[in-house]
Amino acid sequence: MNLRSSVDIITEWDIVAARQLGRNEAKDVGFGTVDQARITTAISELARNIYLYAGKGNIEIKQIAEGNLKGLQVIASDKGPGIADVRKVMEDGFTTSGGLGAGLPGVKRLMDDFKIETVFGEGTVISATKWLR
Amino acid sequence: MMTRIPILKLRECLIVSIQWELDDQTALAFQEDLLAKLHTTAARGVVLDLTPIDFIDSFIAKVLGDVINMSGLMGAKVVITGIQPAVAITLIELGIRLENVVTALDLENGLEKLERELED
Amino acid sequence: MNREIAIYIQKNIDKILERWKAKMEDDQDDRFFQIMSDQVIDTTVREFGELMVSSLTASEETYDEKLKDFSVQIVRYGWSITFVLRALNNFSEVIYEEMEEEGSLNESNYKSFREVLTNWITPLNQSVVDAYSKVWEKTVNLQKIALQELSASLIPVFDKISVMPLVGTIDTERAKLIMENLLQGVVKHRAEVVLLDITGVPVVDTMVAHHIIQAADAVRLVGAKCMLVGIRPEIAQTIVTLGINLTDFTTTSTLQRGMEQALALTNRAIVEVNVK
Repeated sequence: MNLRSSVDIITEWDIVAARQLGRNEAKDVGFGTVDQARITTAISELARNIYLYAGKGNIEIKQIAEGNLKGLQVIASDKGPGIADVRKVMEDGFTTSGGLGAGLPGVKRLMDDFKIETVFGEGTVISATKWLR
Repeated sequence: MMTRIPILKLRECLIVSIQWELDDQTALAFQEDLLAKLHTTAARGVVLDLTPIDFIDSFIAKVLGDVINMSGLMGAKVVITGIQPAVAITLIELGIRLENVVTALDLENGLEKLERELED
Repeated sequence: MNREIAIYIQKNIDKILERWKAKMEDDQDDRFFQIMSDQVIDTTVREFGELMVSSLTASEETYDEKLKDFSVQIVRYGWSITFVLRALNNFSEVIYEEMEEEGSLNESNYKSFREVLTNWITPLNQSVVDAYSKVWEKTVNLQKIALQELSASLIPVFDKISVMPLVGTIDTERAKLIMENLLQGVVKHRAEVVLLDITGVPVVDTMVAHHIIQAADAVRLVGAKCMLVGIRPEIAQTIVTLGINLTDFTTTSTLQRGMEQALALTNRAIVEVNVK
């Protein structure tokens, strides 16, 4: 089982497309309403980060399985400027865009697994997974 | 394709029911429309019903928070109604507390609460 | 060699079991021999002996199967795992002692005898440990589910007022479940005030307090008010000592006081009726 689908994030509308895709996939896996909202919100945050900071990028959504566990993995990748100080962006309330500063630490709290790989000047790949309880 | 959110006036209050998922442009347009309507009607309160909304991310939360503060500056109280459990949980987990926001279970409760707030 | 040992055991089973039993009884730790009737002990011991022999004589193909059956059977006895492991060890020791005393062991076959014994007992040990841990795992999972089921339902008490009693330790997973039940209950019962009763929560540390604060915040977002009731003196002490800030919400020591306040919040009160 390795269903995947993806949305290129280029315009603001693609953020909407990405989260709609995420919501459908989450429903498909069998997540309840609360987890659906968590996943949709996380995707929205990730997609918006791409739009705001990298200009363009991609959101990939994968249904995954590990043993008896089913889950949904969201991979946000871009070739933007990268993140200079990862520790800093993971602090609550840190923002460079005038937003609420809830973005990445918020996504981490909404999802079960969270991984961030970034090379300054080359881009960022963030992967976040939610497991079906 | 941009939808505008209808804003209704009922006596001293404005009533807004957001029926579709908010995209950024619609949210920002709504902010402007509401403030303009407050200006023209001199309404003292707003009830904002979010019952059909199934998620709110930090951007929309910020727009909503801003709208409430801006309305406050213009002398109008805002009550938000119908936030779904799933939405409340995600907001809290995101770290968005919407601290000074007045909330109510549904439109009816919201109007009652607003009337009470306006009496004080 | 397997066969030889098996035949030997079968022939001398009574003697071996007698000696094994004596050995086991020496270790007074396990209560098996103390609480069971002699008859039960006898049949169990015999069964155990047969199991041992059959596991030894099984062909390689059927060995794994036999091994599994064996451990499942053993687990069913309800012995403690230390007792079982000692039983296995003692059994092989008895055989060794018996065969040595009888003189059927000599330098030429000694080595292969030990080998057979090891190859026989080691997998048995492993398989028994495996079987036990599986049973434990299953128990733990079942208990987890039971705990989840136990956790938190919202009880509508009056119109607009509901109570959620919390019982037991709260971990992150349970906290999430509690929050979901709480919010869904609030919306379903159209509660304007919910009383979160923590009388049954043994420890309130920063983590638990954090979850409670989050839940109260979420309740506020859906449009109701959350009150924290059932705060025992020691809980009040730890909350203040840990520097947890609960000033944002109403707290009371008892559910009763909380209920009075909740009624007041919804413009109601309990009055006594004079019956004449």
